[in-house]
Amino acid sequence: MVPADLGSEGTLWTWTIQSFMPKTPYHTDETPETFTPYGVGYVELACGLKVESRLRENTPEQLTIGMPMKMEMITVRKDEEGTELLTFQFCAAEEQH
Amino acid sequence: MDVAIVGLGMHPFGRTPTMSGLEQGAAAVREALADAGTDFKRMEFAFGGSQDSGNADSLVNLLGLTGLQFTNVANGCATGGSSLNAAYSAIKSGQYDVGLVVGFDKHDRGAFNPQPADWGLDDWYGETGLMLTTQYFGMKIQRYMHDHGISRETLLRVAEKAFRNGSLTPTAWRQTALSWEEIDNAPMVSEPLNKYMFCSPAEGGCALIVCRADIAHEFHPRPVYLKTAVVRSRNYGSFEVFSPAQPPEVADSPTVTASQAAFELAGVGPEDIDVAQLQDTEVGAEIMHMAENGFCDHGEQEQWLADGVTEIGGRLPVNTDGGCLANGEPVGASGLRQVHEICVQLRGDGGARQVPNEPKVGYTHVYGAPGISGVNILAR
Repeated sequence: MVPADLGSEGTLWTWTIQSFMPKTPYHTDETPETFTPYGVGYVELACGLKVESRLRENTPEQLTIGMPMKMEMITVRKDEEGTELLTFQFCAAEEQH
Repeated sequence: MDVAIVGLGMHPFGRTPTMSGLEQGAAAVREALADAGTDFKRMEFAFGGSQDSGNADSLVNLLGLTGLQFTNVANGCATGGSSLNAAYSAIKSGQYDVGLVVGFDKHDRGAFNPQPADWGLDDWYGETGLMLTTQYFGMKIQRYMHDHGISRETLLRVAEKAFRNGSLTPTAWRQTALSWEEIDNAPMVSEPLNKYMFCSPAEGGCALIVCRADIAHEFHPRPVYLKTAVVRSRNYGSFEVFSPAQPPEVADSPTVTASQAAFELAGVGPEDIDVAQLQDTEVGAEIMHMAENGFCDHGEQEQWLADGVTEIGGRLPVNTDGGCLANGEPVGASGLRQVHEICVQLRGDGGARQVPNEPKVGYTHVYGAPGISGVNILAR
């Protein structure tokens, strides 16, 4: 195996929205009351590889197949020692109007 | 030696709080044996499975300790298809004359609750909220609608047809037709699919008695012949559930390869099929599977649904019993329900949902995670 730099930008290949709080194994600091819907999509990178990811955008109006996307890091939760656990997600690369 | 189906049994799908999944399987077997005019002692072999309701071979405790070969099958959504495939081979090879295929299940309410480790994935995938089959189904039809010009109206038409057909099917779980508005306004689950566009886990049992074609009339006056039974797994690049990444080239799904193999082995083509069961885990699946099974071109579904081609009175009736949408999906039994319904239609016993003009050739297609597909072609 050889590491490959895939970059951190791409275009939205497909998407959906997670509108209700998932059951376990979902594990964040949210409660059903504080749960915020999130987008889920595949982002097509320049090499053609598509990466599945959470999306910051979470309404149909904000999401269109083919729109430019960029990666960012978000906090999933804090563990017992208070350390922030991070994951990646994608968001719109351009300001939306 | 050709293979015939001579006994049909079903325990109604839905919710039966008083019976275990295993008991529902046994009820289906008893009905199938009675339909074939025979008894459990005559069965030389059995293939069967359930996902959540225990070992199929413990059915012998309820049906009789006859010493038959009983093989448990665990193949996810294709459990029924794989069981029938195994029975087909057992008879085709000359090893056995008559046997049983059975599937049953009893799932908890709500969506399935898969664990990443069972799928070869790390914990982060589930913890961050990607371990939901509903997301995959939403994303697959979303891309398909974009690529092939399928409208939301077409999604609604499939749901409307499913519940209308379910209302004509005494063994269906959902027996109430739903209006366009009810479906249209249902709560969103995973864009673009709402509550009435998804099937739910359920309960039920289904059983078939299969035998050598040359002794079929000993059991039933109207045997249905199993022309071929094919199961295929995925190829590299097919877009499947629980995939953290997807290769650049999107390959055909296993449905395409299973379907092509089945048509070739049976010596018939899509134009010869009079009635079909296509996996409808959600409405998008039925739409995509119409093309993946070779019945129409990608995008043609838009016109087919508008013209009612897949209605009971149409040119290619699809899911005449309401499919998974109206019957729910007890995983172990679901693929066999499809075969059961095609046999009912080919016998002419469909009652209020009978396809007109005496259908002769039928088709079933099951599809499931993590990319398996089973196709059967049946004829009378």
